[in-house]
Amino acid sequence: MQSFELIRPESVKDAIGAQSERSAFIGGGTTLVDLMKLGVMQPDHVVDTNRLGLDEIEALDDGRLKIGARVSNSRLAIDARVERDYPVLSQALLSGASTGLRNMATTAGNVMQRTRCPYFRDPAKPCNKREPGTGCSAMDGINRNHAVLGTSEHCIATHPSDMCVAMAAIGATVVVEGRKGTREIPFEDFHLLPGDHPEREHDLRSDELITHVVLDAPLEGAVSTYLKLRDRASYEFALASCAAIVTLEGTKVTAARIALGGVATKPWRAVDAEAALVGEEATAKMFEQVALLAFQRAMPLEHNAFKVELGQQAIARALRDAVQQASQGEHQ
Amino acid sequence: MSETLNTQKPRIDGALKLSGGADYTADINLDGQLYGYPVGSAIASGELEGLELEEALGMPGVVDIFHHDNFDRTLKHSPNSFAEKNTVSEPRLPFEDTTIHYHGQYIALVVADTFEHARAAAQKVKGKYRANDQVISQFDELDADNVAGLPGVLQEGDGQSRGEADTAFDAAEVTLDHHYSIATETHAAMELHASTATWSGDHLTVYESTQGVVFQRHALSHVFSMPPEQINVISHFIGSGFGGKLFMWPHAIMTAVASRRLKRPVKTVVPRQSVFTSAGSRPRSIQRVRLGARADGTLTSIRHDGSNETAFVGMHNDTVISATPSMYACENVSVTNRVGEVNHGMPCPMRAPGEAPGLFALETAMDELAWQLEMDPVELRKKNFAERDPASDLPWSSNHLIECWDNAAKRFGWENRTAEIGAMREGDEIIGYGMASQSWEAMRLQCSARVTFLSDGRLQVSCGTQDIGTGTYTIVAQTASELSGVPIEDIDVRLGDSSLPSGPLSGGSFATATVLPAVKAALDAATQALIDKVTQDGQAFSDVDSGSIELSDRALTYGDRSIPVTTLLEELGIGQVTAEASAEPGDEQSEYSFRSFGAVFVEVRWDPGISRLKVERIVSTIDIGRAINPMTARNQVEGGLVMGLGMALFEQTEYDKSGYLYNANLADYIVPVHADIPPIDVELLDYPDYHLNAFGARGVGEIGLTGIAAAISNAVYHATGKRIRDLPISIERLLMAN
Amino acid sequence: MTEYFDPKTQGGATSKSRRNFLKTVGASGVAAASTPLWAQATQARAAETPEGDPAKASAPAPGMSRIQLNVNGVERTVDVAPQMVLLDVVRNELGLTGTKKGCDQGQCGACTVLVNGQAINSCLSLAISRQTDEITTIEGLERGGELHPVQQAFWEHDAFQCGYCTSGQIMSAVAVLNDDRIGQSDAAVREAMSGNICRCGAYKNILAAVQDARKAMKGGG
Repeated sequence: MQSFELIRPESVKDAIGAQSERSAFIGGGTTLVDLMKLGVMQPDHVVDTNRLGLDEIEALDDGRLKIGARVSNSRLAIDARVERDYPVLSQALLSGASTGLRNMATTAGNVMQRTRCPYFRDPAKPCNKREPGTGCSAMDGINRNHAVLGTSEHCIATHPSDMCVAMAAIGATVVVEGRKGTREIPFEDFHLLPGDHPEREHDLRSDELITHVVLDAPLEGAVSTYLKLRDRASYEFALASCAAIVTLEGTKVTAARIALGGVATKPWRAVDAEAALVGEEATAKMFEQVALLAFQRAMPLEHNAFKVELGQQAIARALRDAVQQASQGEHQ
Repeated sequence: MSETLNTQKPRIDGALKLSGGADYTADINLDGQLYGYPVGSAIASGELEGLELEEALGMPGVVDIFHHDNFDRTLKHSPNSFAEKNTVSEPRLPFEDTTIHYHGQYIALVVADTFEHARAAAQKVKGKYRANDQVISQFDELDADNVAGLPGVLQEGDGQSRGEADTAFDAAEVTLDHHYSIATETHAAMELHASTATWSGDHLTVYESTQGVVFQRHALSHVFSMPPEQINVISHFIGSGFGGKLFMWPHAIMTAVASRRLKRPVKTVVPRQSVFTSAGSRPRSIQRVRLGARADGTLTSIRHDGSNETAFVGMHNDTVISATPSMYACENVSVTNRVGEVNHGMPCPMRAPGEAPGLFALETAMDELAWQLEMDPVELRKKNFAERDPASDLPWSSNHLIECWDNAAKRFGWENRTAEIGAMREGDEIIGYGMASQSWEAMRLQCSARVTFLSDGRLQVSCGTQDIGTGTYTIVAQTASELSGVPIEDIDVRLGDSSLPSGPLSGGSFATATVLPAVKAALDAATQALIDKVTQDGQAFSDVDSGSIELSDRALTYGDRSIPVTTLLEELGIGQVTAEASAEPGDEQSEYSFRSFGAVFVEVRWDPGISRLKVERIVSTIDIGRAINPMTARNQVEGGLVMGLGMALFEQTEYDKSGYLYNANLADYIVPVHADIPPIDVELLDYPDYHLNAFGARGVGEIGLTGIAAAISNAVYHATGKRIRDLPISIERLLMAN
Repeated sequence: MTEYFDPKTQGGATSKSRRNFLKTVGASGVAAASTPLWAQATQARAAETPEGDPAKASAPAPGMSRIQLNVNGVERTVDVAPQMVLLDVVRNELGLTGTKKGCDQGQCGACTVLVNGQAINSCLSLAISRQTDEITTIEGLERGGELHPVQQAFWEHDAFQCGYCTSGQIMSAVAVLNDDRIGQSDAAVREAMSGNICRCGAYKNILAAVQDARKAMKGGG
């Protein structure tokens, strides 16, 4: 880890003022300190957000939930309103990392979490995300953990977050503040596909700071599940995960939100699958059918082809488990 | 036997380890100490043409950078002899030449005033390479055009073949012929390798995280051309090693050289990535097993051909076939092993070397044979039980494998098994049962120890072995207490110091069987020294035949006469009586065959809808002779089973086509975590093996890790009908298998 | 030059309170177990060596900041650079080496300490940002010379082998047992403790120790 200057502003305005091309914000540190140790990120200035407040969870009048940037993953997971209205988010958070890391990690930090691609994390290896134009080592290397959806010829790195998968399903707005004022970015637009510029990971300008994430109002009567599939039972990133939220009328699906993790370059909404499911009978067979749609455009590589089937299984089972709750009267 | 031995004793170093007071190597800080941080090669094969050092040398706190151009040319290679106790892991000296043989090979050591400065500067050191076009990264792609159809060069003389296995195989009523493989694995001990070197005149002291202080001392004495007496290696507490810390690695030499040049202590804690690339692994192995049997299950032919990868920098034969000749009564057995070089870091023994991968193949094959024969796999094994060791034709010193099979089956509830594949279900899950035999050779080596009666009543016991977490401190104290009558809290055990009487490596499950007889010999010698004094003219027992005097309850006794040792020392006006003695195995080694056995049964749950496999419970019954401390012994077996669960389901050190070690960290190299652990039931049989030593103990560190991977794969087959012959049994292998 | 592991040259001053604490331990449930004298001295050193309190007279070196850290209830003054993480500061600057480095990347849990009662990975936490927090390390768990119930339970259940991950396991266990939100089932404890890798595989005994300590903590407060 290279030396840097730590700036500890007391207000959001000062924090934004302290930000520059060669600086980085720090929240819990679980991403930044790690990547600084590896030499992947080498900011000259680190702007500490820990004196900025931004640690409230607030119910808005329109039914939405406003989460401060610095609310820890642990606290968010056990917030009574989250547990009641967004259990899928609570489950996703608790499936991520470990108790210790969740106690440190913040909401904004999790949104800004960077890929776990080992080639990205080693400055000695070519990586278009870390050093544009150097090539992608994973494409012809080991790509078991890599994405099959949303990839480009320049990058196949997955977005590692569980929290963001749940937020993508729920629907949310990322509130950012910069020198030119406040902006609200729809969650699905916040993370960018790698395309020709895998180094651009999000729609956040260099002077902007995430201050809040606002969750859409919960769907009335919805049932939901977060299902995470991985090698070991805990403390591992997803190979495939699915956040499923559905509403039902009798045995028919009236609304569906399906988001995927571990298989895509950003938190991934399976919109085709969602559209195909609405209006249909909630049966296991139907879930398997729509799951296929989610991976129609998958681009598997040498080691990650299994993620297509695993991802489909995640969708079908998450939908089934969610719907079972409805039949058991556990409206959530 | 007694109150103290074969008794559950909390560890004597427990309070120390539980309150943060145990000094592991990296915890020791010396005055004026500098910090070393290694730099590893970015490529796996080629030439190092130069180094960019300027920026790093100018950074704050940097004292010096060691590399090929400025390294110590006076260093010599260690002869690398196990018998002479100077084995090193990687024979090549650090920075010896500019050829790069593997990713992560050390190209420089940065030394600075603080850890942070050393690390920051190390990141700025860049190698300039001429990479070879051809990297030999995949062992499987080596030429396998030979009789066995396996990669690598045939190793002479490591097989114990008998009979005519080929002919018998061809004539057999039932045969099978399959390939099995295991991935490269990494020990991944929680404690990072670490070395602190300090010179005082021509005396070198090294604090090292090592499983063998004596071995490292001897190896250093060759490397630095110094008498061993001028070198001391200290390792009071070791954050385990699992074989990865048996023999010295290059970081220790780099550190000692830096300390000598800079005339200050230097501490190098090897970063986790370098532990993966440059401090050992269990090599990838591919095995072919051919079994021939009669329709009633009698084995008529066993052919087991193994092959393992090694590095270009050194030879490691993992002898995956080592247990096979002794496992079952079969007249015709043929075993071979091959070794092939790849551009990977040096492999080395990893817990249950040979047996863990070898029994995965053999015990999976036995399960497959049972299915072919439509026999219960337990019955098939019983049918072929070896009444004496068929490899050496010697009687077993003690063998209760049949009881292991029976007891474990009963504890497990094997009789509830529905043999049909996939027939046992619960909810979304399909239940599978599997079992396997377990085995590890029981060894004993030469060992010395010293015992001192102190005037305050304490008894000091010293031996140049070490406690890597197996509980050696505690069992030595138990033994000394038992034999002397001195309460365990007054036994002062000193290990982990190469200047103590020469003790064994902590590995191979031989430390207990080796050390305890030496402790007894030293105690006997020290007691004799006391007796010699007390029977001198004018002393308490001058009228007594010295042969009739005994030590008991901290006193010398003769009939109803007794004199406490403390009283004796006080009357003699001396502070202590000390003696050193050795013990070594004898004729019994050529009269008996020594092996531990066990049986392991596993239940798995397979949820095909989400491709989720989990181990639901494990039962193992083990015959290890006598457990000196059943609590720590059982812990060892349980730990072996957990590591075997990882071997079966998760663990694989992955090298890409360029030879790059892709998952050199604890997030991507998957080891079991707490949530993976099922209920584990370990039963230790108690049949002391007095042929091996007076304590009846055979050692326990490895056996838990044998057989378990096969039991899991056999249970997976029972649940899924998918026979996975390649470890780990990953999600994609399960998904893709038919 | 030290030739043997001699408490007189290696261990520094022996602490009376530590001896008492060890005696207390020895006299309780694990009566027969004891710690050798040489070991007691080593142990005493970890908690009591007054390292890390730089001379107040001299100014911090360039690039360093002088900060106060509340560790185990004691205000410590220490000079740190911004990039120094809490793990390295407690180990190298404060001499509290009970907290271990197993990966330095948040991937093993050996460095777990409590910050304001919550378990965190100290390897990923900048020390300079912890000035207003209460930090507890393994050395700070004993009370009145007695082992914490979790430490005691780990000893009785042999919930360790090599001992290297043990400090982190214990700190996580204390946090788990103090958190009403975490379920009491074996499965809940296993999940909550999954950020602490034990390569020796002593998980079965760790679980038993945690569940046993739960009873002891309820009983004894």
